[in-house]
Amino acid sequence: MVNVWQTTPAGDRALLVTLGHTIDPSLLGQVLALDRVLAGRPPSGLISAVPAYASLLCHYDPAVTDAARLEASILQLEGHVDAAMALGAVVEVPTRYDGPDLASVALATNLTPAAVIEMHAEREYLVYCVGFAPGFTYCGALPDQLSVPRLASPRLRVSAGSIGIAGRQTGIYAVESPGGWNLIGRTALRLFDPAADPPARFKPGDRLRFIPTS
Amino acid sequence: MIEVVDAGRWTTVQDRGRPGLERFGIPPGGAADWFAAAVANRIVGNREDAALLECTAAGPTLRFEAAAIVALTGGHSSGSANWQLIRMARGASLTVGTIAPGLRSYIAVRGGIDVPLVLGSRSFCQRGTFGGGFGRPVQRGDRLAVGRLGEHEPVPAPWPESHRLPARGPWEVRVIPGPQQDAFADDALQRLTATACRVTPEIDRMGLRLAMPGLRLQPHEIVTVPMTAGAIQVTPSGGLIVLHVDHQSTGGYPVIATVIDADLPLLAQARPGDTVRFRGVDHAEADRARRRLTGWLELDQ
Repeated sequence: MVNVWQTTPAGDRALLVTLGHTIDPSLLGQVLALDRVLAGRPPSGLISAVPAYASLLCHYDPAVTDAARLEASILQLEGHVDAAMALGAVVEVPTRYDGPDLASVALATNLTPAAVIEMHAEREYLVYCVGFAPGFTYCGALPDQLSVPRLASPRLRVSAGSIGIAGRQTGIYAVESPGGWNLIGRTALRLFDPAADPPARFKPGDRLRFIPTS
Repeated sequence: MIEVVDAGRWTTVQDRGRPGLERFGIPPGGAADWFAAAVANRIVGNREDAALLECTAAGPTLRFEAAAIVALTGGHSSGSANWQLIRMARGASLTVGTIAPGLRSYIAVRGGIDVPLVLGSRSFCQRGTFGGGFGRPVQRGDRLAVGRLGEHEPVPAPWPESHRLPARGPWEVRVIPGPQQDAFADDALQRLTATACRVTPEIDRMGLRLAMPGLRLQPHEIVTVPMTAGAIQVTPSGGLIVLHVDHQSTGGYPVIATVIDADLPLLAQARPGDTVRFRGVDHAEADRARRRLTGWLELDQ
């Protein structure tokens, strides 16, 4: 078997496992499967892991293990994880499509605003990553026709619940933060609550659909 | 109770943070200079997980409604004794004043600052606006309760200078290459470590932007990956951002090298205009450096 997974140190207390270099549901499936296996039977010294797209960051306790030992116990799992994703219910995200960038996105894509909304809302999305800021939910894949670059200069403040697009991705801001995505709508759904368990509404592997509301 | 008479520039409640929640987008947080914070707790005899106040650039004035045992460590406070036990009488005030050299000082109170735990920590999380007792930095008029985490004997003698980190730059900061070294030319790390970087005014607990005239590293693009404190991100235009304790949990800029745990405190004390030089090390040196600091906390000679 040809080994594809790569491990590289992320400082002196973490190891990054890179399973691939593309945004691809089957790679995400492998990342989540590896995450499950490690959570179920953690190698000695593993403290926690962070999944994102095509990689898994493994934090370890250097007093208990070292990068080489952890790397060995992870790499031996290659080819032995079940990458099938558990398909949960599709979560509906009620969306008001009144974002400040809707008009400019329509212009850039040569569509009407109504067509942008229809295209964004017609498909089901896979959550690839929760990261950047608390609860921020990265989803894909956007139809090619809706692919627009990030804003040339990011906004200093994007309010919680804002829904943006950039490249082949769409995302939901869960807390107020700076942001460079094109904002096309917003949802009242609360995506981050420090008092909830888990604190983030979505996790990688979840599926969602945007439901236009007026 | 402790009354905040003056809040200082940016004073927050911090402890050892909430590592392990990055999968929800939550930064690990905690004291930016973990070593100075640990010494402050050690001097007053607190448990390691006791919360304290992290002060930035200019510290607060506090009035103690009951007698208290206090210690101030980290960046040098102009208004108070540093790195030693201070006995506050009932009704007495502590003024931290401006902080220099260094940027952040830590006020530990025997018993710990008692604010509610949120997601396992008392630390204020700026990006999520939760924790720290108020979901914000402390303000004038706030009253802080003192907890019961003073479980050890206080350290009566001043903390030995031999057991402290350098107080001022230029800073030599050790790094482990990667994790995205593949995204750079072969000589990029060598060029980085040969360059004196300057700390810009854009610094906070999330990260520090560094300027390095003449150095263009030109990384390839990568798919978004998880990030750690100490990650040295290189932006498409060649800028450097070193992530710190309140870092974004994931990022799309490749990381050429990562600052070792033992040297994160140095970056917490770096001020705009300071010089930073990176030096590549291996895991063995990183482990020795960390053990040296934890040995100092035990007051090993």
